[in-house]
Formats: sequence, structure tokens, C-alpha cells
Amino acid sequence: MADAVIVVALLLVALSATAAVAVRDPARQALVLSVLGLVLAVLFTVLQAPDVALSQLAVGSALTPLLLLLAVHKVRRRGKKEGHHR
Amino acid sequence: MNGWILAAAVVLGGGVGATVWGVATGPLRRRVVAQNLCTAFACPALLLLSQGYDRPSYVDLALVLALLGPVGTLVFARLLADELAADPPSAWGLTYAAAAVGAVVVPALCVATGPSRAMAKLLVVGALLIGGNLLASRALSGAFPEVRRG
Repeated sequence: MADAVIVVALLLVALSATAAVAVRDPARQALVLSVLGLVLAVLFTVLQAPDVALSQLAVGSALTPLLLLLAVHKVRRRGKKEGHHR
Repeated sequence: MNGWILAAAVVLGGGVGATVWGVATGPLRRRVVAQNLCTAFACPALLLLSQGYDRPSYVDLALVLALLGPVGTLVFARLLADELAADPPSAWGLTYAAAAVGAVVVPALCVATGPSRAMAKLLVVGALLIGGNLLASRALSGAFPEVRRG
């Protein structure tokens, strides 16, 4: 029974990681990445590594998407400004 | 054979699997809702795993997730506000279904633990999970327009 839950978690990680690579738009990629971080945390818990899962939760669910979206915003704003100059 | 771990596997495979599919396909509004619901399904699964492995310290993971999951969703609601304003996502049926999973799992675990400090912790996690989930859903559906302008 413990193996079944490990298989489920591994399948979820494989699916969401593939989706994170396949999605092209950066904002949508950030959404998939946040789900991937959460699923990875579940996988670490299932593999009896709760300390790794705790740091993965803290970084993966809030910090990584925040950094990505802020970067996307800044790039878009700069693109708009340069468009005005031309 | 451990019923708690089996239940966690069912919640993970059904709930989180559905949200992974939802976040990978479809328009932006559906992806945002799926990202929000992912937290609401993963947190009860972590609680069930902690009971299944008989490790009460694993409840901390669910506590951190219940705190940080809505924060992540609020980040998306704030920074994707322009894209979402034209087509505000609202999926109250799904939100209440996810909240119901938490509302079923937490009392079941409370009965299994018996009255103690651990049970108080479980109740705090459940309240944070459901409250945060409802708050994040309201923010996504555009209930706080003053945030958009900021």
C-alpha cells in the first residue's frame, strides 16, 4: 500500500513536469511550476523526507512563482516603454 | 494494509491529478482556479499521510501548506489582475467541493487522534485551509477591486 502512494506521487510529478516544459507562455508556466513544487513536496513526504518537503513547500509554492511573475512584469513594462519611444 | 494511506492515495490521484490536468490545459481562468484547488486537495492528503505513517510531526507540512498556498494564489491574483479582469474566474461549486474534502478529512482525523493538543492543531490546520481557500477564491473572482488598482 505504501508503494501505491509512491507510484501515484511519481506519476503526478512526471505529468506536471512535462506540462511545465510543454507550456510556452511564461505566466502560465509559473502556474504549472507552482503546482509542480507542491507535488514534489508531496513526493518528498511520501519518501519520508519531511525536512526537504518543508523547504520545497516554502520555495516552490510561493517564492518561485512570485519571482517569475515579477520578472515577466518588468520585461513587459520595459517593452511597452521602448515601443513608445519609437 | 493501511486505510489512511489508501485514502491519501485516492485524494492525491483523484483531486491533485485533476488539478494537474486543469492547470496544464485550457484558458488562463481555468488554470488559476486549478492552481488554487491544488492546495485544497494536497493539504488533506498530507494530513492523511501523517496519520497513515503514524508521525504526528508531519502535520507541520500541512500547516505550512495551508498558510502558504493561499499566499501563492493571492500572488497570482495580484500580478495577473490585468489578464483576469476581462474574464474573472469563478468556480464556486469546485471550491466548495474542495473545502468539503478538507471538512470531511479533518473531523475524521480528530476522531482518530482523540482529544489532545494534536487535535487542536488539526482543527487549526482545517480552519486555515478552508478559510484561506475561500479567501483566495474570492480574490480570484474579483471581489477586491481596490487590489487591482494598486
